[in-house]
Amino acid sequence: MSLAIAGMGWITPLGRGVDSVWQQLLEGREGSPATISEKLGPHECIAFRVPETALGNLAHPRLRRASAISRFAAAAALDALNAAGLNVSSQNSNRIGLVFAVSNGGVIYTRRFYGDIVRSGPQAASPLLFPETVYNAPASHLAAMLGVTGATYTLVGDGAVGLAAVKMAEDLVMNETVEQCLVVGTEEIDWLLCDAYRRWRLLCPRPPMEPFGRRPRGMILSEGAGAILLGKDGPIAVERVHPGAHYDRRARAAETLEQILRDLADDRIDFVISSANGTFIDDAECAALRRVLPESAIYTGKPALGESVGAGGLWQVILGAQALRRSELPPVLHARSDVPLRLSCARSVLADARRAIVLNCGVNQQVAGLRLARR
Amino acid sequence: MHHRVKQESAAARVAVVAAGIVSPLGFGLAETLDSLRAARDCVGPVTRFSVAQCRCKTAGQIPDERLLAGGDGERRRRRLHRASHMMIQALGEALAQQPQFQPELMVIGTTSGGMSYGERYYRALTQAADLRRAPMWIANYPSQKPVLDAQEACGLRAPCRIIANACASGANAIGQAFECVRSGRYRQILAGGYDAISEMVFVGFDSLQASTPEKCRPFDRNRTGMVLGEGAAILALENLDSARRRGAAVLAEIVGYGVSTDNFHITQPDPSGIGPRQAMERALRCACLPAEAVDYINAHGTATVFNDAAEGKAIAELFDGVPVSSTKSMMGHSLGAAGAIEAVVCLLALQHQFLPPNINFDTPDPVLNLNIVANSARPAAVSAALSNSFGFGGANASILMRKCET
Repeated sequence: MSLAIAGMGWITPLGRGVDSVWQQLLEGREGSPATISEKLGPHECIAFRVPETALGNLAHPRLRRASAISRFAAAAALDALNAAGLNVSSQNSNRIGLVFAVSNGGVIYTRRFYGDIVRSGPQAASPLLFPETVYNAPASHLAAMLGVTGATYTLVGDGAVGLAAVKMAEDLVMNETVEQCLVVGTEEIDWLLCDAYRRWRLLCPRPPMEPFGRRPRGMILSEGAGAILLGKDGPIAVERVHPGAHYDRRARAAETLEQILRDLADDRIDFVISSANGTFIDDAECAALRRVLPESAIYTGKPALGESVGAGGLWQVILGAQALRRSELPPVLHARSDVPLRLSCARSVLADARRAIVLNCGVNQQVAGLRLARR
Repeated sequence: MHHRVKQESAAARVAVVAAGIVSPLGFGLAETLDSLRAARDCVGPVTRFSVAQCRCKTAGQIPDERLLAGGDGERRRRRLHRASHMMIQALGEALAQQPQFQPELMVIGTTSGGMSYGERYYRALTQAADLRRAPMWIANYPSQKPVLDAQEACGLRAPCRIIANACASGANAIGQAFECVRSGRYRQILAGGYDAISEMVFVGFDSLQASTPEKCRPFDRNRTGMVLGEGAAILALENLDSARRRGAAVLAEIVGYGVSTDNFHITQPDPSGIGPRQAMERALRCACLPAEAVDYINAHGTATVFNDAAEGKAIAELFDGVPVSSTKSMMGHSLGAAGAIEAVVCLLALQHQFLPPNINFDTPDPVLNLNIVANSARPAAVSAALSNSFGFGGANASILMRKCET
């Protein structure tokens, strides 16, 4: 038995709503680059931010002081539940699991909290900020908003954490711990995060972000959230979730990805949602894809939406599910014409597409993948 | 209610076949056992950063001279965060007992990963200091890194799942692994938790006035708060039939796991004790055991006024005089590692038939009707032990372990 996606919610730099964001991607739109100035130096970074209007009238007492990461998560999760027509009540509140995926967590409040300590000493530390620095704060807020009383988990990791969260949700449902599971990936941006990735030589100095480039120019960070409700019914099946793997050195990422692709590759894989983001992982994915699925269409949404790390895996799942539902792939933006893959460089119709692989290679050693199928 | 469609009898049994631990109580199971039996107070002045302006000035710490000793002569290993060294120590000990153990998954709890490297980076940035090592700090900061480092050091390549459910993380990791093996879908899983003390988290608890300038006195009438700790612990879980078939020593059996989320407040438990109570009830139901079957409870017992009141109320409502202790009194609260460390404490209690102590206990709280294992360890017949862990965000988890009948 495989699980299915019963509902989805999506908050991105292109706004809120699965259909709205999808339509913009089909039209070849991308996030608006926002300049984030480093507060302690001369550097500026480019990032894709969620438009202020995207969260609309999201209001709940638990969100009053919550950081953007919690708000993004709540908005995406509520949309996914709404799309599935699921109401959480006292009848089912302990049978719905919550699994969150985050990478950097509440970095804005964490930086502010620790900044106060560094600047003015421990007595300046805010007891109001500290709880929001904890990784599971977004999950806690959502559980309180929904009244969920059963299993609530937050997973941390690199960009692959979103797919690891889907695997954990699969375990929770298959283990019969819960009947349905809401999986939420969420991330927020702060200048400190941009500085850290820049020093790690992973950031693109200026747009565009070029996937599968000759020399990796780096990624553009972004923020937002993605949510899927996993249950037994829905038009898109999560046919197989790979348990995940890791590479110990960047040079070995390709062989790890190749193994995952081989484990997931069915007779026919119509397309792959890649995690190519302009960094070293593009080369690794390209090599693995050429070896295992040279004929499959390849799409990456990161040139348009940015690298949202903890949210990124869920965004890829939503992209894959939408492409299967709509039998169409958006154009891959800013790719060279000589990339040795079947890149979907123009909006393309997928005649009778049945199966897709979502592949994710994180920048900090973790790798994951899953296979989706249209029912 | 912990919903299970499957008949309980159809579930696979889950054995603990190996364990490893490092904590302020010591390096390894033997030292930990000695410290527990001796009721050793392993909390001392904080040495890793200045606490001059904090209310609380103590913590349970692992001495670097022993922790980092294995890294001599190896440049890469010297760069690793202390948390990585803790994980290497704990995993190494567990695998030494079961060298053939090939986990299909590793589920680990933590709250703050390599936080002190993040602090160094931020301080260097704000103080215009030398940032040449910043890429190394940043690369070793993420929460999965100590787990991957430990795997690499021990020659493993298992998929990792890092749970960050605040102070319940370690128990949640073990519970999740238990459920996976119990379902029959996995055969061998490593589970546990780790956390290394850091300035930010220390000051955070200080700012909440959750930590105490005095001794940590769980369940005492005059309790004034927690002290922090650090460490790592790993349990190797295996399908019991599989373990028996291959002749592996079975140290204990995990028989129940209960999880609940109480939505009262992000840092405070519901004073009714509903969250802890549901977690314990669900663990008992999962194990098909009555409350009377439990011989010992290793409480979350942070020694904050609110936690101990809520947990104590829930225990008193569910259990009739079962011995209770919080071993955090001896080593501090190691956050994401606590649930795993305390599961190992329960394992030792089951193996060596004693009740670990709750030290610094002077005055019973008349509001809490609890049978505290006060100040010294006691020999006892322990067939089943319950370990509680509760965290920020209303994350509650209980693990029920049983001595394995041969």
